[in-house]
Amino acid sequence: MKRLWSILICLSLIFTMVLTGCASQTPQAPAAQEEGNDANKEFRGEITFNGSSTLAPVISAIATEFIEENTTWDKVDSNFPDKNISIYVSAGGSGAGVKAVLERTTDFGMLAREIKDEEKEKIGDVNEFRLGVDALTISINPENPLAQIRDNLTKEEVKKIFAGEYKYWDELDSSLPHREIVVVIRDLSGGAHEVFQNSIMGDTQIRADAIQSPSMGALVTKIIENKDAIGYASFGMVNQNKGKLIPLKVDGVEPTEENIVNGSYKISRPLIVVKRGELTAPQKTFMDAIMSERGAEIIEEMGFVPVR
Amino acid sequence: MRIGFDKAFIILIKVLTLFSLLLLSFIIIFVFKEGYIFFKEVPILKFITGTTWNPLSDPRNLSIFNIILATLYVSLVAIIIALPIGVGSALLLSGYVKERPRLIIRGLIDIIAGIPSVIFGFIGLMVLVKFFEKFFDFPSGESVLAGGILLAVMVLPYIISTCDETMDKLYRKHSPAAQAMGISKIYILRTIVLPQSLRGIVAATVLAFGRAMGETMAVMMVIGNAPIMPRLLGKCQTIPSLIALEMGMAEVGSLHYHALFAAGFVLMVILLMINVALYYVKRSLNR
Repeated sequence: MKRLWSILICLSLIFTMVLTGCASQTPQAPAAQEEGNDANKEFRGEITFNGSSTLAPVISAIATEFIEENTTWDKVDSNFPDKNISIYVSAGGSGAGVKAVLERTTDFGMLAREIKDEEKEKIGDVNEFRLGVDALTISINPENPLAQIRDNLTKEEVKKIFAGEYKYWDELDSSLPHREIVVVIRDLSGGAHEVFQNSIMGDTQIRADAIQSPSMGALVTKIIENKDAIGYASFGMVNQNKGKLIPLKVDGVEPTEENIVNGSYKISRPLIVVKRGELTAPQKTFMDAIMSERGAEIIEEMGFVPVR
Repeated sequence: MRIGFDKAFIILIKVLTLFSLLLLSFIIIFVFKEGYIFFKEVPILKFITGTTWNPLSDPRNLSIFNIILATLYVSLVAIIIALPIGVGSALLLSGYVKERPRLIIRGLIDIIAGIPSVIFGFIGLMVLVKFFEKFFDFPSGESVLAGGILLAVMVLPYIISTCDETMDKLYRKHSPAAQAMGISKIYILRTIVLPQSLRGIVAATVLAFGRAMGETMAVMMVIGNAPIMPRLLGKCQTIPSLIALEMGMAEVGSLHYHALFAAGFVLMVILLMINVALYYVKRSLNR
């Protein structure tokens, strides 16, 4: 009997725990909303970022430095009160960033794509900050004989290689050896792949047996290690591994910093931070830190091309 | 006073046990809850029998048959490689090695279990995958076999220590009698210790299988992560690698996000079934 009771009590406890778990999720949103509304009334030492997981580590890095340097707001600017600086960065994808700005659950939204016109309309008073560009280069191993005979691929050829229409290197150019092309990509649902899909593949599916690397580092390592490999290495990674892998021109346009920033090199996407309405004073000081020379350096360290 | 203290202590340990039970139930319920949203949209049968996983295509194809198969395949290859090595080492350790060196060797083997899996993955990527590419002239060395070999090394300590425990007990029990009768060591090991430790070996296998199925990082780095039908020398993708690879990017609350939870739920169910099977196998062997 006693045993039965204890089991019953256990079960009911578990059950109540579960129920409370379900309930606590909902009220969070309105609370955060109120905070957003209060932002303009009095000094708030908190800044929140939400959105693209590409941009999140960059903002986090800049924020960490900013906090370590200053700790409290009064050290940034003597007009500010003696409050701790807290900057929260959360990643959930570019779409989530826009949504959070719309719902006023975050101060800034981070986007790793252009902001759509309809989104601009919905938000209304949009403040847009362009931090940099994320570009992908079509890279091959230096030992690949392709590197000797050509330094350029047309968009059509890149598409056919990644779609699996060209299975062997000699199908691309008859002077190349009959060896299988090893296509290396990032995970299909990730931001880097999205850029590539949009700018090169369009509606064409990538070949199913392409190697999905868990990180850009692994992708680059694969290209360096395997002489039949081709993949889209990020511009920053190519610069860090100069000579170990060779970026090709696409449609005759070389992936240089200049071409990437002016937009003639197409396999790229902008890194944007958006804010609804005017910035408060502390928000502005942090934004200045992001746009500063040191901020640009951090952006570059993370493998992106900063807009200077 | 004393009685009161004892009672308080009993209550404390009860609460702590309850807490760990709650934790388990919370995890299961959370994963099921997130996965359930997906199962409402896509029938579960289609999810586990369909073969295409493409979260970007329109309409989305989110089915994980290939991925489930690959998860089992890689683990199976690992067990096939690790089991003979593990059982052999355990026999040697319990029969031929003296107490002190045995403990030292056991300790060293256990260190393998403590090496972080990323390091295994890194070695796999730089050595194993490269080895396949260089000496077997594979276009790319990422394969089920590479994952299996790597996992075999990783689960070896689990097999050895579980087997060794059973075998050592058996050997100690029978060796005085056997020695008195002048029977050779190898004969005892072969005819008494090995057959009687079958239970331990089965337990070790299941434990290792569960470990292998759940292993994420190391496997992810050497299997190529292509959600295609797995072949021994071809690329594949396992459930943990799928989740680890895509969870960071899946938009929170999207169908894709819930599909990943659903995949995790399927993995949990498979592991649960294996453990239940283990329980019955153990019981039947007990008789």
